[in-house]
Amino acid sequence: MPSAEAKLKKNRCANCLDCPSCNHSLTTRATSVALTDAKSPEKKTTKKVYYLACGLCRWTSRDIGLTDKESLVVDGRNMKTTMQKGPKTDEPEVTPVSKIPPSEEVDPLPSKFYTQPLVLEKVTTLAQRLNRPEFASNQVEGLYPRHKHLVIKRSQRCRDCEHNLSKPEYNPSSIKFKIQLVALQHIPDIRIYLVPKLHHERESIVTILLSNPSQEPMEIQLEALNDPPSTGMLIVPSIELALAAKDITAEFDEKVADTSQYQDNPELGNIETIKESYSLTVSLLFALAVLSYGSFTFSFFLEGIPKHGTVHIVETILKLDITANEVYPVRSGHKLGVLFKVTPQTSEADVVVCFKLKHKYHNNSPSLRSPPDEESSPEAIWLEHEVHINLGPTSP
Amino acid sequence: MELPDRFYMKAEFIETASGNKVSKKSVLCGSQNIVLNGKSIICNDCIVRGDLANVRIGRYCVIGARSVIRPPFKKFSKGVAFFPLHIGDHVFIDEECIINAAQIGSYVHIGKNCVIGRRCVLKECCAIGDNVYLPPETVVPPFTVITGNPGKPTGELPECTQDLMVDATKGFYQHFLPVQEVK
Repeated sequence: MPSAEAKLKKNRCANCLDCPSCNHSLTTRATSVALTDAKSPEKKTTKKVYYLACGLCRWTSRDIGLTDKESLVVDGRNMKTTMQKGPKTDEPEVTPVSKIPPSEEVDPLPSKFYTQPLVLEKVTTLAQRLNRPEFASNQVEGLYPRHKHLVIKRSQRCRDCEHNLSKPEYNPSSIKFKIQLVALQHIPDIRIYLVPKLHHERESIVTILLSNPSQEPMEIQLEALNDPPSTGMLIVPSIELALAAKDITAEFDEKVADTSQYQDNPELGNIETIKESYSLTVSLLFALAVLSYGSFTFSFFLEGIPKHGTVHIVETILKLDITANEVYPVRSGHKLGVLFKVTPQTSEADVVVCFKLKHKYHNNSPSLRSPPDEESSPEAIWLEHEVHINLGPTSP
Repeated sequence: MELPDRFYMKAEFIETASGNKVSKKSVLCGSQNIVLNGKSIICNDCIVRGDLANVRIGRYCVIGARSVIRPPFKKFSKGVAFFPLHIGDHVFIDEECIINAAQIGSYVHIGKNCVIGRRCVLKECCAIGDNVYLPPETVVPPFTVITGNPGKPTGELPECTQDLMVDATKGFYQHFLPVQEVK
């Protein structure tokens, strides 16, 4: 529905109705009534009639004394006229209220409040009254259904350059976008991969996973913040990391992408071979790496890995000197796992670590501002993000 | 947070040629009427009532433990008729849910311990919180979050919900790994 039409219809649907009692949408129900013919009383014909009913609170249009209607369309129209009775809300007349000085002369309470019994089921709730402020009926008989409020779809623009960032399709049930530029496709994704039990004042290794969403390689730098509002001490590795480009066809490809071009730690070459020879998942490798930092015994064996295999893996990982002040990136496609050393500084609150993430960003999307004939690729800029990670509470 | 690995005993699950993983402890009634389009996971103690009507479940769906999938019925003047239940792709249904919906679109998340009433229609990219009762014949529009009892729209989902749900369900499938029992 275009916005002009929506405005004309007071932002409400012409067909759908909401229950006045619980706000759930009403459904039309059909029943048949037996009619006796005036000419021949023996002959009975059945006729279908429709009424509105709520599936949640069992409210029906019969409750407010509306008679069943003969057809769905007539039903809707009649309902509409019934429901639009009362003061017209198109152009409300605003009358200025004059100040009334306070006085002790107040009308006495009507005697019906003393004489008539109070039936709470017949009194409307505040929410029901506020739903129809123009009537605000205090009896349930005065509750009339209301047309369903429309929901909107909206587009968003950049605050600086007014370029469209997201523009949904016109069709209300469609979830596709004509234009969709989200940070998810440009900014590296940071995830907590593995957190061991954290203890107060004890150094542990936390694995953070960085992944590159764009289809170009990305350079990343990590930096410490000057005055971090953190509750955990983090040794931020000051090296430049390179993320491989995301290959969207990789999931259909059996072959593992070659990442040897990235000069990671030479010892980890071993891990890569282990990974391939025993078809381990990366996360298990991390688990092994982190757990072997403390003492750890295996309680299960992964399918397809012989017992001596796991021993071999643990031995290789133990040979890595994780205690040295370095990160050990472990790579899988466009994802890169980095081991961080975290020393919790608190024993009560959650451990929060902070660092600054810098990444090189090539703006490849066509911009409105840049002239179209400019053929040189846009210059890469370093973008900075302050990252706060809550690693959860320390264990006692 | 990257999902942690979840291990299952290899003997307790059946893996089909298209990559579906169905727990042997689940109950699939009328299995000839149930279609799993591949890489879907049905956890232990689930009940899928294919004997009532057709149930079609898309790719990369997760049906959490102890959930019940039951096609909806409608009363007519001449008895009761059951309607087929369609679930789209990348749908995550958490534990202990009862699903009576007529249709669940793709990229939908349903929280723990929910009751989705008869003939509800959940459009694509919507989310239902934990412990929600959705009244019968409710329609949930795209990009809405439903919470409370009875369920009411309380929030909106971001535009990139589709990508997030694809990532979440694929991640769940990739981290759902078999182990063999230690002898």
